[in-house]
Amino acid sequence: MKISRKWLQQLVDLTDIKDEDIAARLTMLGIEVESYENLSGKYDGFVVGSVLEVEKHPNADKLKLCKVDVGGEVKSIICGAPNVAVGQKVPVGLVGATVPHNQHDPDGKPFQLTRAKIRGVESEGMICSARELDLGEDASGIMVFDESATAGTPLAEHFGMNDTVYEISLTPNRADCLSHLGVARELASAFSRKLTPKRAKLREEGQPVVESAKVEVQAQDLCPRYSARIVRGIKVGPSPKWLSGAVERVGMRSINNVVDATNFVMLELGQPLHAFDLKLVAGHKILVRRPLQDETKFTTLDGKERNISPDTLMICDKEKMVAIAGVMGGMNSEISSETTDILIESANFSPSSIRKTSKTLGLSTEASYRFERGVDPNLTLQALDRVAEIIAETSGGKPAPGIVDVAAAKFPPTRVELHVDQVNRLLGTRLASGEIKRILESIEIPCDKKSETVMVCTVPTFRGDIQREVDLIEEVGRVYGYEKIADSFQTKLSFDFRFREQNSGDSLREYMAGAGFNEMVTNSLQPADVAGFHDQAFVQLANPISEDMAAMRSSLLPGSMQTVGLNISFGLKNMKLFELGKVYRTSNEQQIVGNFEETEKIAIVLSGIADPVSYDRKEAPFDIFDLKTEVERLLSFLKLDSWDFISYDTTKEYELSLKLFVKGMETGLLGRVSREVLKKFSVEQDVYFAELDLKRLLSLTGGRRRFKSLPRFPFASIDLSFIVDEKTPAAKMVEALKAAAGSMYRDISVFDIYSGEGIPGGKKSIAFTVALGSEERTLNDSDVAGFIEKAEKAFREEFSAELRKQKS
Amino acid sequence: MQEEIQKVKDEATASLREIRTQEDAENFRLRFLSRKGSVAQLFDRLKDIPKEDKPALGKALNELRSFVESEFDAARGSIGSTASRETAGIDLSIPGRKRYLGRKHPLTQTAEEIKRIFTGIGFGIADGPEIEDDYHNFEALNFPPDHPARDMQDTFFVKNPAQKDANQNGKYVLRTHTSGVQIRVMENNKPPLRVIMPGRVYRNEAISARSYCLFHQVEGLYVDKNVSLAELKGTISYFAKEFFNAEAKLRFRPSYFPFTEPSAEVDVNCFICGGKGCKICKYSGWLEIMGCGMVDPNVFKFVKYDDHEVSGFAFGMGIERLALLRYGIDDIRLFFENDIRFLNQF
Repeated sequence: MKISRKWLQQLVDLTDIKDEDIAARLTMLGIEVESYENLSGKYDGFVVGSVLEVEKHPNADKLKLCKVDVGGEVKSIICGAPNVAVGQKVPVGLVGATVPHNQHDPDGKPFQLTRAKIRGVESEGMICSARELDLGEDASGIMVFDESATAGTPLAEHFGMNDTVYEISLTPNRADCLSHLGVARELASAFSRKLTPKRAKLREEGQPVVESAKVEVQAQDLCPRYSARIVRGIKVGPSPKWLSGAVERVGMRSINNVVDATNFVMLELGQPLHAFDLKLVAGHKILVRRPLQDETKFTTLDGKERNISPDTLMICDKEKMVAIAGVMGGMNSEISSETTDILIESANFSPSSIRKTSKTLGLSTEASYRFERGVDPNLTLQALDRVAEIIAETSGGKPAPGIVDVAAAKFPPTRVELHVDQVNRLLGTRLASGEIKRILESIEIPCDKKSETVMVCTVPTFRGDIQREVDLIEEVGRVYGYEKIADSFQTKLSFDFRFREQNSGDSLREYMAGAGFNEMVTNSLQPADVAGFHDQAFVQLANPISEDMAAMRSSLLPGSMQTVGLNISFGLKNMKLFELGKVYRTSNEQQIVGNFEETEKIAIVLSGIADPVSYDRKEAPFDIFDLKTEVERLLSFLKLDSWDFISYDTTKEYELSLKLFVKGMETGLLGRVSREVLKKFSVEQDVYFAELDLKRLLSLTGGRRRFKSLPRFPFASIDLSFIVDEKTPAAKMVEALKAAAGSMYRDISVFDIYSGEGIPGGKKSIAFTVALGSEERTLNDSDVAGFIEKAEKAFREEFSAELRKQKS
Repeated sequence: MQEEIQKVKDEATASLREIRTQEDAENFRLRFLSRKGSVAQLFDRLKDIPKEDKPALGKALNELRSFVESEFDAARGSIGSTASRETAGIDLSIPGRKRYLGRKHPLTQTAEEIKRIFTGIGFGIADGPEIEDDYHNFEALNFPPDHPARDMQDTFFVKNPAQKDANQNGKYVLRTHTSGVQIRVMENNKPPLRVIMPGRVYRNEAISARSYCLFHQVEGLYVDKNVSLAELKGTISYFAKEFFNAEAKLRFRPSYFPFTEPSAEVDVNCFICGGKGCKICKYSGWLEIMGCGMVDPNVFKFVKYDDHEVSGFAFGMGIERLALLRYGIDDIRLFFENDIRFLNQF
């Protein structure tokens, strides 16, 4: 919202205060000034000029040589505009001034005027168009002012633009500041000045309002008050400069002397007003009601036909609807050039009703914006007097005596008790009751002493946001100044074990980064078909931004694939990535919230060339065993000591897939991403992907770490190689060797797999290193021999395999 | 004889230097230390030596044997490592081999830093669901059903498959802030309590350089006897000094949130321009970092805390916002694209 300093000046004297000080104080009072602009600055170096002579340029057909009086001095100026003529009053930019808009530049960048020779003749300034001054779209010729303009007047002053405009951002509770009066009240308090609101002086005549028009409020629940005045004998026309300038400077369009006056009063006092052409109000009767059954369409004064729902509050006359209450008037009763008598509405509507209407219609207006936030119900009469005064002055009308005022009840101020100790307890201050009283009274909240420590505060109706003691405490803190409240930081240590972070992924992230993985954070919103591809029970949004984000992710795979695809598109084809994040689904069982199940997962991604990428070693692409390695390393890091991989069918997501079981619980899936998925994300290289249930993994690692004595006797290391059928799974052979080693088993690894020359067809050679050990003694040759014998036997019986070579 | 002993010693010393392989070692052993080797041959000749010379020569021979044996052991022990001892011809200017270097996401790094600071001053950590009910996200936080404050929170609603009635869809939302976790924490725990609540939140906003459909927040809550606005200011100032720098200056300006009263926005003096005004701080010299305030008595009513007995403060900050400021990142979308060239910068 825009606030004009010149306007504020009418309400509180701020002459000696700098623009930036006003901005700073407002911000620190909770009325945030986003920016402010000194309008006259824009027209520094521009004055009104009077064209004295116009001659043809000696060296150019289309240019003219003008003599222009710029206030006691005559300048010689070259002008190319077709409309320049002797006697005109025009805007002139003098040498050194910055023209706001360059008509000949595609971006319209401002430029500075210099003393320039144009076709051999010097020009001492420039006569400007409206476009060049940023005052309109007309670029066809120079701007010509009314004859009354005085040569030499600074342009800003001529426009009434010797003003500073503040752009303020208001929090929804401060409806009282949606007006110059409200902001002025805050400044009066901040700078200890007196507020000087305008008192309207009216000369009323003609038939009293109560005899000329009737008002009936049927829907009193939605309209607590409806007041109206009549002004007769007006002449609708353009507003005088002071009025159009005032509304334009704060960003509204000037319409005519009546509409501008109603807008002016709204901007000054905060009361939205609407003027009806009295002749068009059938029966001179205003009826405030909900629409009848057949009243479903209404054309607002912007020419749009709108659908009216049954709970929309309407302003009607004897026959028809004439306005959507608090939002916008209708075409059928609009002020026109023929209007002579008007009825001005100054009403109070229920915020929630207006809010609903505005939302349903998708129509937000200056009026609806204010009503939604709450307008002071005691403002209607004051606003009517003020607007009648202005209309009488600007359009020659005569206000009819009196006001029709229909109110459901009186609107008394709220009384709230305030305890001094509560103020100081909550703010951490030591304010005395006198100080508190002074603060509150500076913003027009009178305080009566009830006892030494308790006062009763009378909250005026324009502060509808203040209902409770705590609201008053906020006012005390705000006006006293948060910056004056001393920081206190005496946080005591507490020993509270309720909020220790459970199963935090922090150490896991640390490990993954150390293991060479970059961490991703991906969007958890996805297209519905993507979420549905991974889980039928995915969660859908009722009001998505777009189809691309219509569902919650059911797997971390799509986000990972997107990341892989993006990086490949930038030429980065080798990557190790991970993400810790939630997936979402609808469960059959009740969860913390509804049936929505949120599961924390870890995703591991490998794609491209495996470690290390080097000049002297053969490059190898990542394969499924690299992925398995990473998963096993992760499990080892988490201190899990046993797990199983079950090879799994090819799914639509994976080929070469494995299911991971830890302590008998399914904890994840890993594999090579399927062609189908690669294609979806236009990825043309293999991607290895694992998705593990993080919470489950972390819960399985639980328990305290216990020290185990280090082995006192060295391990014996035995290499065994077998020739087996090529289909024999390594895991089965590992199991057989473990069983053969029994309690001596310490560790096992596969160190060679070979088939080809020297190995019979359909067979492979596989070699294991087995570590054996004992807690009691160093193993001797017969222990080892016993193991080898058992292993041989097992392999012969289980796999029909022969021991090929051994080494211990 | 003495000369011959010296000769064998010199020969052995020279040969030792030549030992490169196991084969060399075996040859050396055969030549000098085997039963027929030169050392043994010298010992054999001892029997022909005059008796009076024997002690001296015997001692010299023993010394020779132990010298050759120990030098041989040493030489044999270093077989294998000698290959790598070659230094000639190796180009040390060749760069090291490239391995993957992983990093935590800048948002993680920022969140961990925030957690570290607050846990250091006695705050615990709690979390809550992202799909939240209307009660915890709005109602219990003192948002009346029809309050304009709900305009400040452009909310995603979740379809509820359990309800056929479309009107029921408004019941569940993607949480718009982590403040709902405050309610959950207070529902389940008696005061005093002091806790931060990090997590992902969603806003139904068009995606641009400045806003994304989701971001991460850290919520804070401290409820005890006599917790005051002064204490809130002190706590946040400490945080800002730890997080930004010890010279960080803060500004608390009055604001409005339905669940706190009084409320404030917190600005830190712009560390990019030093408060003089620049593009980042929109020429104000200040950067907005969080919202905070004293817990509204209505919120205490919802969780059945006695607001005469206890008071509290709450705050909420955006992790993205802090990370953008901290690292000077100009586009929030970069956080969620995971361009490796971006991730590698942190």
